[in-house]
Amino acid sequence: MLEVEHLVTGYGGVPVLHDVSLRLGAGELVGLLGANNAGKTTLINSLSGVVPPMSGRIRFEGQDVTAMTPKQRVEIGIIQVPEGRLVFPEMSVRENLLLGGINARARAHRPRQMEHVLELFPRLRERLGQKAGTLSGGEQQMLAIGRALMAEARLLMLDEPSLGLSPLFVQYIFGIIDRLHAEGLSILLIEQNLNLTLRHAQRCYVLERGKVAIEGASDVVKDDPRTRRAYLGL
Amino acid sequence: MRQEFYKTLLSPLWLVVLALAVVVPPLLPSYYLHIVILSLVYVALASAWNIVGGMAGQISLAHSLFIGTGAMLSSALLLKLGINMWLGLVISALVSGAMGAIIAWIDFRFQLGHLSFVLITLAFAEMGTVIVEGWEFLGGASGLLLPRDTGNFWAFQFGGGIGAFWAMLVLAIASILINVAVLNAPLGYYLRTIRDNENAARAIGVNILRYKIAAMVISAMLSSVIGTAYVRYLTFADPYLLVSPIIIIEIVLFATVGGLGRAYGPAFGALLLVPLGEILRGKLGGTLPGLHYFIYGVVVIAVILMSPRGLLPLFENWWARLRSRPVATKQG
Repeated sequence: MLEVEHLVTGYGGVPVLHDVSLRLGAGELVGLLGANNAGKTTLINSLSGVVPPMSGRIRFEGQDVTAMTPKQRVEIGIIQVPEGRLVFPEMSVRENLLLGGINARARAHRPRQMEHVLELFPRLRERLGQKAGTLSGGEQQMLAIGRALMAEARLLMLDEPSLGLSPLFVQYIFGIIDRLHAEGLSILLIEQNLNLTLRHAQRCYVLERGKVAIEGASDVVKDDPRTRRAYLGL
Repeated sequence: MRQEFYKTLLSPLWLVVLALAVVVPPLLPSYYLHIVILSLVYVALASAWNIVGGMAGQISLAHSLFIGTGAMLSSALLLKLGINMWLGLVISALVSGAMGAIIAWIDFRFQLGHLSFVLITLAFAEMGTVIVEGWEFLGGASGLLLPRDTGNFWAFQFGGGIGAFWAMLVLAIASILINVAVLNAPLGYYLRTIRDNENAARAIGVNILRYKIAAMVISAMLSSVIGTAYVRYLTFADPYLLVSPIIIIEIVLFATVGGLGRAYGPAFGALLLVPLGEILRGKLGGTLPGLHYFIYGVVVIAVILMSPRGLLPLFENWWARLRSRPVATKQG
């Protein structure tokens, strides 16, 4: 479904990612691991088109999307849940969700999709009229994921969904991710939380200083001694 | 969301406004009528600015450029080329819109942060001042004197006084209604996503460039039209008043004090502060020069400290509390 070939991305001419290649099959839940500064967020940002790549190619369902704008990528279903739960604080939960579905593909199905999201997150149904800025951190994460689902994501990219959440909420969010995966959604999960990601993802890539250091099935990556090393940045 | 706009449009409150507009101005001494007209000018300008500064959260200081173009260019076209001021108004608005689009594009292309945007737009405003002062066609440093206002509507004349009042009232209301319309249209929502978080806006597929340009063009053209009407009222196209960064600082101040990003906030701020400033100056300017600035400054600081989001939200809260409080019962 997603193929990244020899991607080089950076800021102001200085590459952060060097020659990264990865694949994600339809319906797969793939984890992207790495320490701080390994380039995880840069990678997800170049997949969503926010940071233009310097060279290399990104293909989505056989289509070359390397030169597409972020908006065009949203239109074909590549949806990012940005790091830090970026909800629109001054707007209501309902407005946040509706805004998730503004792309041409999703717009017509918004009522149906809204029902799906509210069924997934009953908590949001109780808070529909509330300003998003007044939600707790966990609820904002639910809203951020719900908003991405409203866009009718075909590839959902989650950037550190566990960041700053209490263990209970982390468990809850990962339960939701499992459920979405079971429903057949393709998910790219970026996480610092090593054990949790290895437990939920089918395959993992470990980034180290802008390169793919290790890749493979989660069990294999888990037992690879290099994983922990890459993680600790040794 | 659209019904909100029609509800506003058909509100019976407009009849009250109309009644006041018919009855009050003829009773006012000319000095007070002048204050009313000036207030309306700033209601219109602050509301026009609000589309960019409030809704999209982009503190643009370049708006003096658009006001100045509306004022100086239309005057120059009339005086130097004999072009009817109605047509001059349209030409100036198109020029302002184009300049607005260019500024919005620069902002997008170079991914300016908040502070850089403020500084770049300030640089544009300063550039505008320099160009007007140095270009004889636009009146240079001495400005342009328009022919006397004889009330010939087809020559963009409203007869001064009451006529100017009506022209400004129409513009002020139009500017507020455009605010209500934009706020309740998809554009208003997209602008607020850009203001709240540009990255999140990108993540849901908002076309940032398109909506930044749309906001800036609407706001610039509106400011330009108000500039043309304002200069017709003043009769003298003074570059130091109309193309100076001072005018835009005042607009930002009124909008902030009233309530940024709200349909009626900037209008509220202008209606409060313009009369306050004028009356303070009128009463104190002669006896204790400078004191009116001091009092005015203290009031503004107090308001900003008391309610950083503006006065309108503060009043709305009071109003909501008053209505929800149970009726007091007498005791003992």
